[in-house]
Amino acid sequence: MAEVTLENVTKLYGRKRAVNGINLTCKEGQFLSIFGPTGAGKSTILKMIAGIEPISSGRILFNGKAVNDLPPQERNVSMAFETYNLYPHMSVYDNIAFPLRAPRWGLKLTAKEERRRVEEIATFLGIGELLERLPQHLSGGQKQRVSLSRALVRKPEVYLLDEPIAHLDARLKFSTQSLLKEFASTYRSTIIYVTHDYREALALSDRILVLRKGVIEQEGSPEEIYYSPVSDFVGRLIGEPPMNLIDGVVVEKDGTTLFTVGTSIVLPVRDSLLPSLRKSMQGNGNRLTRLGIRCEHIRLSREKGSAAAFSLPVYAIVHEAESSIVTFELENTFFFARTRQEAGFADYRVTEKLWLDFDQDSMFFFPKTIELSEKA
Amino acid sequence: MSTVDLDKVWKIYPRGNVIGVKDLTFTIKDKEFVAILGPSGGGKSSTLRMLAGLEEISRGEIRFDGQVVNAMGPAERNIALAFESYALYQRLSVYENIAFPLRARRMKSAAVHEKVMTVSKLLDLTDLLKKFPPSLAGGQQQRVSLARAFVRQPNLTLLDEPISHMDQRVRAEIRARIRHLHDEMKNTTVYVTHDQAEAVSLCDRLVIINKAELQQTGTVEEIWNRPANRFVAYFVGEPSMNFITARAQNDVRLSVGAPPNARSLRFEGSLPQGYVGRDVTLGLRPQQLKVHRGLQELNALPGIVRVVDFLGETSVLTISLEAQAGLELKSVVAATERYTVGEKVWLTADPKAIHVFDGEAVILTR
Repeated sequence: MAEVTLENVTKLYGRKRAVNGINLTCKEGQFLSIFGPTGAGKSTILKMIAGIEPISSGRILFNGKAVNDLPPQERNVSMAFETYNLYPHMSVYDNIAFPLRAPRWGLKLTAKEERRRVEEIATFLGIGELLERLPQHLSGGQKQRVSLSRALVRKPEVYLLDEPIAHLDARLKFSTQSLLKEFASTYRSTIIYVTHDYREALALSDRILVLRKGVIEQEGSPEEIYYSPVSDFVGRLIGEPPMNLIDGVVVEKDGTTLFTVGTSIVLPVRDSLLPSLRKSMQGNGNRLTRLGIRCEHIRLSREKGSAAAFSLPVYAIVHEAESSIVTFELENTFFFARTRQEAGFADYRVTEKLWLDFDQDSMFFFPKTIELSEKA
Repeated sequence: MSTVDLDKVWKIYPRGNVIGVKDLTFTIKDKEFVAILGPSGGGKSSTLRMLAGLEEISRGEIRFDGQVVNAMGPAERNIALAFESYALYQRLSVYENIAFPLRARRMKSAAVHEKVMTVSKLLDLTDLLKKFPPSLAGGQQQRVSLARAFVRQPNLTLLDEPISHMDQRVRAEIRARIRHLHDEMKNTTVYVTHDQAEAVSLCDRLVIINKAELQQTGTVEEIWNRPANRFVAYFVGEPSMNFITARAQNDVRLSVGAPPNARSLRFEGSLPQGYVGRDVTLGLRPQQLKVHRGLQELNALPGIVRVVDFLGETSVLTISLEAQAGLELKSVVAATERYTVGEKVWLTADPKAIHVFDGEAVILTR
């Protein structure tokens, strides 16, 4: 399989820069995810690699050789789309076998070998029983797995997968995700994967590229993206609930630096965080900053646990299998704290005042680059 | 706000004589938040439609506070509804959308205004009241739809999958808002969904329906710890419960795998008579299957890590068991443990967390 490189690739639609000067390398055998919200330019990048969408400037290389001028069929890529694009008049078997029969690849498989390969991938993805059916008799989730099987049945230079499991229900998504990962590591496949679902990006990838309005916002391993988000944008994209972002004012008092939100939160900031705090205030000329902390890093209790703890009334409590999410409201934005049963599950009540203690080892300060509430 | 009783309710579709719902009996208590949960096509939508008065009840009775409502339409039953597709009036302002159910009941303008403002404040809509639905973002439209459902106090508020398709960034917030509204307005609320995570997160009690029949009712904790059958055990919880074929060795131990690799697991409680020496199905939740790096005890199950799904706070491991070729189990571990593919591990389970099934039936649970 190939190593895929993009050099300064740009895509213009009229004057709009859908993709703006992207550089990326997906090494041979690597699983690279392009992750971001709708409209960030993810699918456009994938289509440019496939050759379906011409590039406006820059170069795309497979194993160091520019493929800019090659039509899709000569690039030897294999794609699966969110929309399944199955041949409606062909059985599931024939749909999956289709790429094996294409004269271009010159595979010339025996009927027996073809069947073996089709059955292997179909069974792997849990649709082995459906081979004789027509697409119209399948559910959305089944169609999507047929589409994915068709993409994976042959070994191309690179697999390009665009939201290939978006339409599976939660349970099936989970198991298919593990299968896909097993497939990638077993066959050492080069895979470029587009998703807006942070779970897929974290679980599947060797590397993640976070895309924001056609530009790379952050690039790194899943652990780097999770533990060291570079911005409020990246923090907010990951987790359910997403990372809490709290806007506040920095106050100096008696030699201590405090992060404050009105009188509700007055938090002495630890020295090790001061550089990032200062950086977050740069450019806005005032004392505003944005604090980021994930829900699992807030400790809750009925008693004041430390000098930095502060108290707020509970807005709502919702549950997870073995934990609860306690929600607080502060100046019309919400933030969430997760309690664990092992840590002594307390039956907190709505409107009760609780003490919150932020784990400063897992706290961030960011410049404000996104709006917290939806703007119409 | 009412207590709602379903008493031996059937829905039979005359065409093809299809049974939509079979002999359904359960109670929704006053001010309770109940989820009707089940897979698509299992009968939960028929149940919802009969509760709402949108569909005829073939047999049995539905009662609101003891009064039979079978023959009443939705308006007479005094029901509020919110759907997944928001179904807002596109040509009315947000204010008028929310006010609609009140005006339909000929409420005076001053009273309407007070109610609209109260619910708008709870849902953070006060700045949007003059806008029209087409100019709103998805999450905002959903909040308007919820405001319309919660603006008055009906006998029953029915929510039909109102948030499962929403973006993860908005979903946590909307969940908190719905729960807050329910607590604040003291409504009786029924939430219909196929998404177990949604049901678990919001509701006091779950009513699980599959194949037209009631499977179990109970609190989240009851259903988690004491599933009534294998379907419920499988359906609630993510990743799904692990199922392993095992043999009942004696009253306190199950053996897994064939000799010489067989290992035995101790369980708490007792199996019904006659199971010793027979094959049963062992059920273990991924959250309760503990993974160790060294051999903890003689009967820990050895295995190899095949897949590590990093999810941020936790990782999900797929582990193939040595004792039984081809068998893979899932376990949820803290991500900070940093397990790697190919690593050898040992598995143990709390004897109290072991479920045992015979076919679909549960024969041992917590």
